[in-house]
Amino acid sequence: MVTSAPLWSVLVVLALLAGFAALAVAADALLAARAARRPVSATVLAAPLAEVPRLLAAQRRVTPAADRLLWQVGLVTVPVAGVLAAVVIPFGGQTASRMSAGVVWFNAMEVLTWAGVWMAGWGPNAVLALVGGYRFVAQGLAYELPLMFALISAAAGAQSLDVADIVGAQGHLWFAAWMPAAFVLYLGSVCAFSFTGPFGYPAGLDLAGGVAAEVSGPDRLMLQAGRWLLLTTGAGMAVPLFLGGGSGPGLPAWAWSAVKTAVVLAALVWGRRRVPVIRADRYAELAWVVLIPLAVVQALAVGLIVLVKGGPL
Amino acid sequence: MTVAVFCVLAPLAAASGVMVFRFGSMARATIALLVSFLATGGLLIVLGLDYLGIVVILMMIMEMVIMAVFMVAYMMNPAGLMPMSMVHNRRVSLAVSSAVFVLLAAGIFAVRWPRRVGAAPRDPTFALGEALMGPQMLTMVTLGFALLATMVAAVVLAASRGRYDRFGDDLKDRLPADPARGGVGR
Amino acid sequence: MGLTSLLVRAAAARPHVLVAVMPGATAVRLAAEDQLRRRGWPAALTPADADILLVAGVPAPGIADAVEATWAAVPAPRARARAVRAGDVAAALDGARAELAASVPRRHAGAPPIADARGECHVPGSPEAMSGADHGHPANHEHPGDHEAPVVPGPHDAHGGQLGHDLGDMGMEMPGGLPMADRGPDRDGLTLDQLHVPLGPLLPDWPAGLVVRLVLQGDVIEHAEAEVIGLAAEAASFWTEPWRRAAAGEPVTSATAARWRAAAYLDSLARFLSVAGWDAAAASARALRDEALTDGPAPGLALPVRRLARRVSRSRVLAWSTRGIGLVPGEAATAATAADDVTVRYRRWCRELSEAVTAFGDDSPLDPAVPGPPRGGPGEARALLAALPRQLEGAELAAARLIVASVDPDLDELVSPVGAGHGH
Repeated sequence: MVTSAPLWSVLVVLALLAGFAALAVAADALLAARAARRPVSATVLAAPLAEVPRLLAAQRRVTPAADRLLWQVGLVTVPVAGVLAAVVIPFGGQTASRMSAGVVWFNAMEVLTWAGVWMAGWGPNAVLALVGGYRFVAQGLAYELPLMFALISAAAGAQSLDVADIVGAQGHLWFAAWMPAAFVLYLGSVCAFSFTGPFGYPAGLDLAGGVAAEVSGPDRLMLQAGRWLLLTTGAGMAVPLFLGGGSGPGLPAWAWSAVKTAVVLAALVWGRRRVPVIRADRYAELAWVVLIPLAVVQALAVGLIVLVKGGPL
Repeated sequence: MTVAVFCVLAPLAAASGVMVFRFGSMARATIALLVSFLATGGLLIVLGLDYLGIVVILMMIMEMVIMAVFMVAYMMNPAGLMPMSMVHNRRVSLAVSSAVFVLLAAGIFAVRWPRRVGAAPRDPTFALGEALMGPQMLTMVTLGFALLATMVAAVVLAASRGRYDRFGDDLKDRLPADPARGGVGR
Repeated sequence: MGLTSLLVRAAAARPHVLVAVMPGATAVRLAAEDQLRRRGWPAALTPADADILLVAGVPAPGIADAVEATWAAVPAPRARARAVRAGDVAAALDGARAELAASVPRRHAGAPPIADARGECHVPGSPEAMSGADHGHPANHEHPGDHEAPVVPGPHDAHGGQLGHDLGDMGMEMPGGLPMADRGPDRDGLTLDQLHVPLGPLLPDWPAGLVVRLVLQGDVIEHAEAEVIGLAAEAASFWTEPWRRAAAGEPVTSATAARWRAAAYLDSLARFLSVAGWDAAAASARALRDEALTDGPAPGLALPVRRLARRVSRSRVLAWSTRGIGLVPGEAATAATAADDVTVRYRRWCRELSEAVTAFGDDSPLDPAVPGPPRGGPGEARALLAALPRQLEGAELAAARLIVASVDPDLDELVSPVGAGHGH
């Protein structure tokens, strides 16, 4: 049964997410400055946070014959999906909302981005935004099934859909060690559903920003913040699913959760700049013909191991 | 608390279902249908069937977005910019749907619902699944695969370009002759 | 209001700059990119994200409408700057930033009326825009609610004047003056809506002044026409400067020429990598390009350049992404450099870059014959543009951007208008 969570716990989730997202943005600024051979200082790291007042003060734009309702709903959905997906992530030993099917809830909230980004592309009635929105759907069809199978592998390893049980099943060995394919597919899918890095196709430079081409002001802040929140949520979920949650010697559980989340997030932020954008028309065939069989085989392997051993490794 | 949530979600589901036919824009109609399904998923969660409710939400978001793509591609007036009526056979449809609604509502209120005996099961989803499909589980699994195979076969049959168009008459070409190259080069 | 002006001042700390590059203004563009890199100001991809519009170069009449349309699309608070020469850029940016910090948020002031879309700025009709009786007011003159939002004509690649297509006016008042999309057969035998979209002239990392008029179905290009607008008054390619100076009798060393050669390839590579979405490599390429172009010795330049060239050339993901794009199906190409796909082209650049690096330390006087400047002159630009539409037809938008970025014609060489070559 879903235990009713106090409302303030969602605010705590939001605060934690925002904190980690700010760290990710700062790390990204650091890497960008290094790549551009610019000297790195504290102001460089804090500079991207100037986006918040800049976008709050900017004017909203109106395009001809725009579908304002869908546009607004789509833009709001992107960060909301990130926050809602994070309510099942245990931090330390605490979860904002412990659900018996937490993994499926995470998957469902992440799929909200499909609707959100498509609507954000449809709303402004502009060519580049529309192409960006459809690009996200095309990419979504490609990454979603490998992601689902990766999540199923983790759930099968613990024989439960509850995230707390998955953490508990990793007492002996982290899932990342004996289901590496699922882990790698999951990390790739995190970049995909937050459309950054190699999967930044829907918001690419070749479309002058894609779904972000016509958005300005607080709407733009929601979209960009939503991308970073989704990346952070994905990184946060990797910890209980594959990296043992808050377990570890010495430090308390919440500290280990924080450290592991920070490491995964740093790896994602570093990796996303290193790879060129992968176009969905090339990626879709690879995903369906190579990655889905790989993910299915991984899930089968996990299932066999659990069957033979009577539990996780 | 559950009553309060029910009183919010149920009218939302019905109202957005009605809005599907009131919106002139096909995109908005699809999103209204999505909202209706999300409310229904929420109602399933309220009933205690967590997994079913969340899966309904998950599946319906994916399906409605794909349906939106097809609606925009195939329907007239996808953005509702043209004031045209997108419904037909209004009177008969309204009559039939109202009659069915009244019938079902009457049935819901008139039937004698059983009282709970014993305690609620620990996992209502599992119990429901067993009750519905218990003795026929193997049939259900096979049916699932058969459905999937049928869908794949239908798409393959419907595609206008087959193996011989792509690989030549003797199927010997190394690279398929496609208008756009895929990522694996099969 | 106190809070808003505080926000505006905070926002002016790190403004986003949209650089509108005019044809012939390569030096100004390089200076602008260098300035932005040094200050850490992000370059805006779209007017919706811009605070400052920097017009680099002198806008010729053909392209001035595009600049105005772009300016109209920038949301407040905003500032405009222009730089005619490379040395003006820093001052222009400082002035614009000061203007931005001092700007009063024009929330309640009336927005300047934007003229009807049909007359001034043609908006590409969207596939879903069908003819419809409007409610009596064209969308351009809406002033929605409390926000005086500028009613924008669409993506900033829309350009004004009579360059738009008028697709069979149905005689009905349609929202925003958008014409109804007509239909045509597509590559799969379906009949789909056709959208007339001009790409350019002010897209990010796009050859300045190039306009490619596309007929899109979905995001597949059915038909393309390439043309250059706003040509500069005299043809002087930035990249051939050492050779021109050597031909004029000035003492130019081979090292300088090699560095300019390398900088030309680095510039093309940086734009291509930006379009391909590889941020880290594109930023390195830009930084190395700026370093190569500075006067004075650059001892540590050869190694990073060679490393970058090797990294890009060996990238499997980039090669996988770009293989098979840009080939002209079945026909012999007119210009030698247009005969290959995108992968071959950028690998050729990397090879030439590595070769140019070997001459970095060569202080002997430049022999103008060997090797020549990186671009082949106006003849090559014309040939590349003539071959471009055939390469674009049948490609998707992303592939089209990659093709144009890999061809990267040097339009500064052109003075007389290029005939609008078309293919379908």
